[in-house]
Amino acid sequence: MTSFKFLSCFKCLAVAAGVAAVTGVGFLYSGLYPMGADDHHNDLTYWALETLRERSIARASNDIEVPTDLNSSERLLTGGADYNDMCTGCHLKPGKTESDFTLGLYPAPPNLTLTGDRHGHEHAGDTDNDDEAIKRQFWIIKHGIKASGMPAWGPGHDDQRIWNMVAFLQRLPELSPQQYQILTARGADDAGHH
Amino acid sequence: MKRQSLSYFVALPALLLALSAQAHDPKEHMKEAQAPDCAAMKDMDHSKMDMKDPVMQAMMKKCMKAMHKDEAESHEAHGDKGQTDHGNHDEKADEKKPAKHQH
Repeated sequence: MTSFKFLSCFKCLAVAAGVAAVTGVGFLYSGLYPMGADDHHNDLTYWALETLRERSIARASNDIEVPTDLNSSERLLTGGADYNDMCTGCHLKPGKTESDFTLGLYPAPPNLTLTGDRHGHEHAGDTDNDDEAIKRQFWIIKHGIKASGMPAWGPGHDDQRIWNMVAFLQRLPELSPQQYQILTARGADDAGHH
Repeated sequence: MKRQSLSYFVALPALLLALSAQAHDPKEHMKEAQAPDCAAMKDMDHSKMDMKDPVMQAMMKKCMKAMHKDEAESHEAHGDKGQTDHGNHDEKADEKKPAKHQH
């Protein structure tokens, strides 16, 4: 009697799983899910994707070793110039609050002139200076993030160059527009300190 | 057949050239490079400046470099001007000099 009940329950579960799978595949092929960047995810989908992203990055960046000389003036100069060339369109610079990319990309790229807790990315660390946040930034710059607009800079840039950008990011939120201009300007004979 | 192998000869070097140009080279940005606005440092609150701060050290390095470059350029320009003036002077002197072998 008990085994009969168990079998029917198992059958029930198998049928339910089959129906769910067929419904899911049917939904994928139906084309009903809106893919436009101007049509935002519902809360459940957003939470699921964000959790997937953050857990994946946290696991993957766990073993990265942070250089001890991150707070050096040379790293700031090299990383600042690269940040200005490669990142400001999406992540802004002091004195700017939006760009076409920040308005149009979804999810919106974080404004890196603000500290992690102010630009709404609490997972990046409260101060943007703790080890977890630094490892996370390095990993994201190097590997990028799928379907977010964030490219992987690793294929064209060595680790030291990426660490220089990470070093610059630690000080970026406290820079004035004038300080930013001086630090990031590539003079006529400044080839990026390479 | 010949046309196909010829297209390989063209396509392969073009592909290799395209791949080699993928890495971001800072020199790419040299043409549109801005000079650091070091004059803005004069307007900053010097009492709040900490010379041990890497940001301040980096700004000083950048501006010292820019200053030396400006100085070198002005010396060079001055030198060129001096040479030009000197050259003109010589020409004028030559003009004023009576030709020794004039008859």
